Amino acid sequence: MNKQVTITIDNQKITAPEGANLLQVAKDNQVAIPHLCYHKKLTPTGACRLCIVKIEGQRGMVASCAVLVSEGMQVTAFDDELEEARKYLLDYLLSEHNEAFDGSYSDEFRELVHAYGLDKAENRRFPSIWKELGYPKDETSPVLSYDAAKCIKCFRCIKACDEVQGKNVLSFTNRGIISYIIGGFDKWGESECDGCGECIQLCPTGAIVEKPHRGEIHMDNGIRKVRTTCPYCGVGCQLELLVQDGKVVRSNGVEGVSPNDGRLCVKGRFGYDYVNHPDRLTKPLIKKDGKFEEASWDEALDLVANKFSEIKQKYGRKALAGYASAKTTNEDNYLFMKLVRTVFGNNNVDYCTRLCHASTVTAMLRSLGDGAGSNSIEDYETSDCMLVTGNNMIETHPVTATFVKYAAQRRDAKIIIIDPKWTPLVKDAHIWLQPRLGTDVALLNGMIRVIVEEDLIDRDFIEKRVEDGMEAYEALKALVGKYTPEYVEEVTGVPADLMQEAARIYAKAERPLIATGMGYSQQVTGTHNVFCLINMMLITGQIGREGAGLNPPRGQNNVQGVSDVGASPFTYPGYISVEDEENRRKVAKVWGVAPEELDGEKGLSTVEIMQAAYDGDIKGMYIMGENPMLTDPNLNHTEESIRKLEFLVVQDIFHTETTPYADVILPATAFAESEGTYVNSDRRVLRVRKAVGPPGEARQDWEIVAEIARRMGKPLGNYQHESDIWDEIARTAPIFAGISYDRLEHHGIQWPCPDKDHPGTATLFEERFNTPNGLGKLHPVDYAEQSERATDAYPLILNTGRILYQYHSSTMSRRNKALTDFANEAYVLMHPGDAENQGIINGQKVKIISRRGEIEDIVVKVSEEVLPGELFMPFHYSEAPVNKLTRDELDPYSKIAPFKLSAVKIEA
Amino acid sequence: MSTQEIIQQFEPKQHNLLHILHALQDAHPENYITEEALEAAAGHLGVTKSTVYGVARYYTMFSLKPRGKHIIRVCASPVCELLHVNDIIAALEEELSIKTGETTKDGLFTLELSECLGQCQEAPSMMINDKIFNNLTSARIREVIQSFKDEARK
Repeated sequence: MNKQVTITIDNQKITAPEGANLLQVAKDNQVAIPHLCYHKKLTPTGACRLCIVKIEGQRGMVASCAVLVSEGMQVTAFDDELEEARKYLLDYLLSEHNEAFDGSYSDEFRELVHAYGLDKAENRRFPSIWKELGYPKDETSPVLSYDAAKCIKCFRCIKACDEVQGKNVLSFTNRGIISYIIGGFDKWGESECDGCGECIQLCPTGAIVEKPHRGEIHMDNGIRKVRTTCPYCGVGCQLELLVQDGKVVRSNGVEGVSPNDGRLCVKGRFGYDYVNHPDRLTKPLIKKDGKFEEASWDEALDLVANKFSEIKQKYGRKALAGYASAKTTNEDNYLFMKLVRTVFGNNNVDYCTRLCHASTVTAMLRSLGDGAGSNSIEDYETSDCMLVTGNNMIETHPVTATFVKYAAQRRDAKIIIIDPKWTPLVKDAHIWLQPRLGTDVALLNGMIRVIVEEDLIDRDFIEKRVEDGMEAYEALKALVGKYTPEYVEEVTGVPADLMQEAARIYAKAERPLIATGMGYSQQVTGTHNVFCLINMMLITGQIGREGAGLNPPRGQNNVQGVSDVGASPFTYPGYISVEDEENRRKVAKVWGVAPEELDGEKGLSTVEIMQAAYDGDIKGMYIMGENPMLTDPNLNHTEESIRKLEFLVVQDIFHTETTPYADVILPATAFAESEGTYVNSDRRVLRVRKAVGPPGEARQDWEIVAEIARRMGKPLGNYQHESDIWDEIARTAPIFAGISYDRLEHHGIQWPCPDKDHPGTATLFEERFNTPNGLGKLHPVDYAEQSERATDAYPLILNTGRILYQYHSSTMSRRNKALTDFANEAYVLMHPGDAENQGIINGQKVKIISRRGEIEDIVVKVSEEVLPGELFMPFHYSEAPVNKLTRDELDPYSKIAPFKLSAVKIEA
Repeated sequence: MSTQEIIQQFEPKQHNLLHILHALQDAHPENYITEEALEAAAGHLGVTKSTVYGVARYYTMFSLKPRGKHIIRVCASPVCELLHVNDIIAALEEELSIKTGETTKDGLFTLELSECLGQCQEAPSMMINDKIFNNLTSARIREVIQSFKDEARK
């Protein structure tokens, strides 16, 4: 396949893989053949003709972007005739082009026009006619503008939207010289465009340009470009921030590197303005007589250190706890965790993973020995079957979804979706199974039974790689026996034939991936749901190779990393148990403390910390970059708990729903002001770089943490730079041992990376699982009815989730006009049948009431996206705090809360 | 038939788009395709709005604006032009008191130009709806238009 051939371009001998694109080969070998319509990520178009070359043995001039190289090819890329032809073509394009240039974008066409001397009128042979052609401008999109008079109709934007992003929102209208690009019915703003801006990034002229800051930007006037990692979801997209006058004014995707290869979503491209928002916290605040007053850092830090020390002395070391943050860097979280363990002196440190993928991680740790995704993001494109469970990835992980859509649209991969609610990926799905909320265990056991009955298991895999081999399998087989298709259909509402077909496709696939999300994890049976997925995966041998495995895309930029660096009540950095004597000794040695100073008892988890506060066992709390007063379940209870604390410190970049309850608020830096690393969903350690200075006196989180420790009399270490902290992390956690900042300059590295020469690990479990005996473990589990169910008093079941344009508690996302222009209002989805029964019409405002609380003024959207009897609400909006309705009845294994299922009633 | 009833006659395959657009246009009393109809067609075929709109705008025989009951398409190709079709167009514009591309106030006629109608042996030519009219003269124009007006009055 990849046979190397030798070709000659302008007498230069070049070796390239046979069948490679000639223009790309030339580019890769520094032969700069002019071109406009070609882009590496797109199929060749051959529209601009500028890349013409002469090839020996072929007549005339050919477009090199449409030529595949073969052995001995003799190519002329530059001679007078070719250059004359290129100039003619450019001149022709120029005649239909508005040359006005405001300097706010890079313009490949303009550069070529200058290079060929066509900026001077006397060198042109065609008159300018663009004014007579009546080209329109489309300013209807909230994020971009399109000027047809600057468009050269190269197809790049259309293909960017279609081939790269899988959306196909753009098209041509009209014919011939007056054709131009449209979104929707010639109104971009009313089209299906979701604002990802791939078209902007790939436009070679200034036809499509970002709206935000356009008036300020001058590309040739001291713009700095800083490469960093996106602060939103866990994909870890590589961004290039454009910085002008100390402010981030634009964000582009970095081409040619994983995980995103230049792709971004609307949040990554347009969600940076919060950094420069006037609401940012700029000074420490101390509550005096119920009011917050500005204070100096010294005053605030001394107060915090004294209060924490006082509480520890008065109530003992178990009376303190901390929430780490999935939004800040590994370095910040590592020191935070170290502060809780070595200064507070307990293991009461946790963070929002407990509310997100804790159940997935728990099940994976018990069955497979690692809680992280087993595959690389690239595998989503080459997999032939994707089982997407409770995972609205087009909205929550939009860039991962582009790979999935590519596989479905262009490689005929089969997508199987299990979700009670419609998601946009259903459009690309082969099968959509729509079980009733809370019935997933029954559905998966039904699928496993199909696999058992039809003998689609992988005996060899079970015998070699599963603990107790066929014996364990027989136990699973016995358990799933009662999950007949008829029974499963009755419980779940999923048609038996669809369930059976899904099971067969998954079991028979060559490279099936499971992508599991919050719909599976945020349930009382969260761990059981994932056990079932793993059972199915292990008996079919569908893990442990490229393209096959189990992947939980992480919701926040650094959820993965915070677990990895040990901000967990149960594990030290690198997932080593705090209860193990030997581990404690090793960690204590690296940290330079006595082993007995480290608490050998595991700590309290997120929701348990709140319960302990309620019970009076936790008296002081340090919250870094989390907002439990919006995101914890059963908010009324959380509020009572927080009020009972004697002392609360909240460290954040904005006031949040939680800061009013604080005694001290400490201002921290945002992603663009921070140095460090994040770990993304496919275990890739990625650099975060400082692009701009902090507002006012804000400090990076780790510096604040280190100061508090120092003032409590137990310094954490001597760190001059974030890389010093990272090096200590690498010494503590074997999975990071081989990673250092200098290796992360250009590419991320996937853990485990045990030594300096190790390239990192793309696929987990190829040889063995990470369990003590190296074997995977089956956990047969039965379906149990939910304790919370629809009753006459609370007849509807409420599901919660996320939308594309907002993020978490929206403290960041809602401070970007571009994002709020797309979506800024809470709503509840209701099935048309239920709406009719209750006499509720689309757009009406209602009150939603559960056994725990109520929320008012929620707009109803009547929609068939949900099943009859079920509702859906996004959780982002503080004025509609849906977690007043949710439960804190926890999954017994992982302590996750069941955000996805609450019985409610509606009042008009 | 409602828009949905028309669309549901066709399998949801993208190659049916032109047939669907024709059916929608023909069924509309004002001889055009509404935005609602375009949206319904896109929904039925599972394609984006611009896909449907781009096709509808590419072909001159589709209109996205209301038109008259009768569509007059005058051939503007070379043979007809050599045989003074411009005089015919002028006569039509005068007779109908509209310019090319417009619709008469009573909503009876829309005047459009067309590529070659394949009637060169009897040029100049035009079509009104599905019917061909050849060997046109200004006098013949008045006659034909009058006959349509008379019919409308019945």
